[in-house]
Amino acid sequence: MADLVWTSMADLGRMIATKEVSPVEVVRAHLDRIATLDAGLRAFITVCADAALQAARAAEADLMAGKVAGPLHGVPWAPKDLYSTKGVRTTGGSKILADSVPARDATVVARLAGAGAIVLGKLNMHEFAYGPEGLNAHYGDARNPWDSSVHRVTGGSSSGSGAAVAAGLAPGSLGSDTGGSIRIPASLCGITGLKPTYGRVSRAGVLPLAWSMDHVGPMTRTARDSALMLGAIAGYDPADPTTSVLPVPDYTMALTGDVKGVRVGLLRAHFTDVAAPEVRSAVETAARQLEQAGAIVDEVNLTHVAHVGPASTAIVASEALAYHAAWMRVRAQDYQPDVRERLRMGAFISGAQYLRAQQLRALVRSEIDSALVKRDVLLAPATPIPAPALGERETTLGDGKSDVRAALIRLTRPFNYSGHPAGSAPCGFTAGGLPMGFQLVGRPFDEATVLRVIDAYQRLTDWHTRRPPVA
Amino acid sequence: MKRMAAAGGFAWTDAELEPIRPAVERLLDALDRLESLPLEDLEPTTQYRVL
Repeated sequence: MADLVWTSMADLGRMIATKEVSPVEVVRAHLDRIATLDAGLRAFITVCADAALQAARAAEADLMAGKVAGPLHGVPWAPKDLYSTKGVRTTGGSKILADSVPARDATVVARLAGAGAIVLGKLNMHEFAYGPEGLNAHYGDARNPWDSSVHRVTGGSSSGSGAAVAAGLAPGSLGSDTGGSIRIPASLCGITGLKPTYGRVSRAGVLPLAWSMDHVGPMTRTARDSALMLGAIAGYDPADPTTSVLPVPDYTMALTGDVKGVRVGLLRAHFTDVAAPEVRSAVETAARQLEQAGAIVDEVNLTHVAHVGPASTAIVASEALAYHAAWMRVRAQDYQPDVRERLRMGAFISGAQYLRAQQLRALVRSEIDSALVKRDVLLAPATPIPAPALGERETTLGDGKSDVRAALIRLTRPFNYSGHPAGSAPCGFTAGGLPMGFQLVGRPFDEATVLRVIDAYQRLTDWHTRRPPVA
Repeated sequence: MKRMAAAGGFAWTDAELEPIRPAVERLLDALDRLESLPLEDLEPTTQYRVL
């Protein structure tokens, strides 16, 4: 039964529905693995063993009574610890909310429960989601499972999600993504992650970092599992006024394995061309593989993206400080140092500068929309570098030296700023054995095409099936 | 910086603010450069409002 922890959510759901395996066995296998490995990985902040087993027994009873909630019936998963979970503490990875117990579930947690999925526990994260390394001074730094000799970061802020899914502690997770916090750990940990279009998935009950940049989305080992999770959580929610009333398609129906005629634009300047040589080569190879499978690949440049860094920093710093202002006045010492410093930056952005950054947003969005008029998706590295070692401060990119933190968010953040959907998937490994990931960017509300292309790529390659040495 | 923070209601000391001074100065310089972009006719946008 050890392989249950490496079985996809789609297959687990099918095996449970056909009574090939019990949800209790599935949940127990994952809890056993958490008990064995999590002391080293630090992926979980809270493990809900008793509640998960109770839910699994209820799912089994429903199944025996002929009641199946859907394709995720009895399938375990784990949310990043910024999703409200009724009766289970939701810390945001912070000391400030260490004992905060919500009275109700976040909309997406409730929707997954309605689909029959079972929460294993709450996952580690960069404190209050404000950092791309995935560091946490209060609950310990999650460890990247791909290097057992050097403590490498998982990427963040959804650090526990990246580590848990990569190491088989949970088959799927929900992360959140304000500058890349789903796609960065997906890339560094060798898993699949999807940041949907802004407004596609409700943020109600999810601790905010920056309201206009935050996105909620799945982190899994396959595109099919992301399609299943997205189908369960997407759609209008009166509790989140930014959600769209556009109908939610069955995303799994898009997974045909066929990319013939799909038009792919390889993002060059500011994206592929600035990546480390191994990453650049892996993404270019992926483009060729898609082309050989029938996709039409060309190259494209986005000029206004060069200004996204300072503009999005102004927005995130302003919105984050607005949310944290009351605590920053009286409990600043309770934040970990890097987060406290980033929050303080928000005090020095004027209203005019914030709005100028929002004006530029319209320009950047328009440029990306234009690039997608004649293309179905845009392709780029998700991160320009593989997982850095804990404490590594500087790296070298194609256009010079860079702070590691700035490098990690550089290629993902433009699409938080623009709101376009973007999915990340593994596309190779470095000579040292670290995963590398690409991202595919789609038209607004066309997550189906992004997932279709990733799924087709995963049928051509086996990068997503590899297991880390810690496992 | 201390006066500006105080205007926002934050009683942070010079010692607390000094570590972020270089980053704040770099950010404000970069934001100044946005003024040269053709943004005057663009309405500030925060999200995709399709429906």
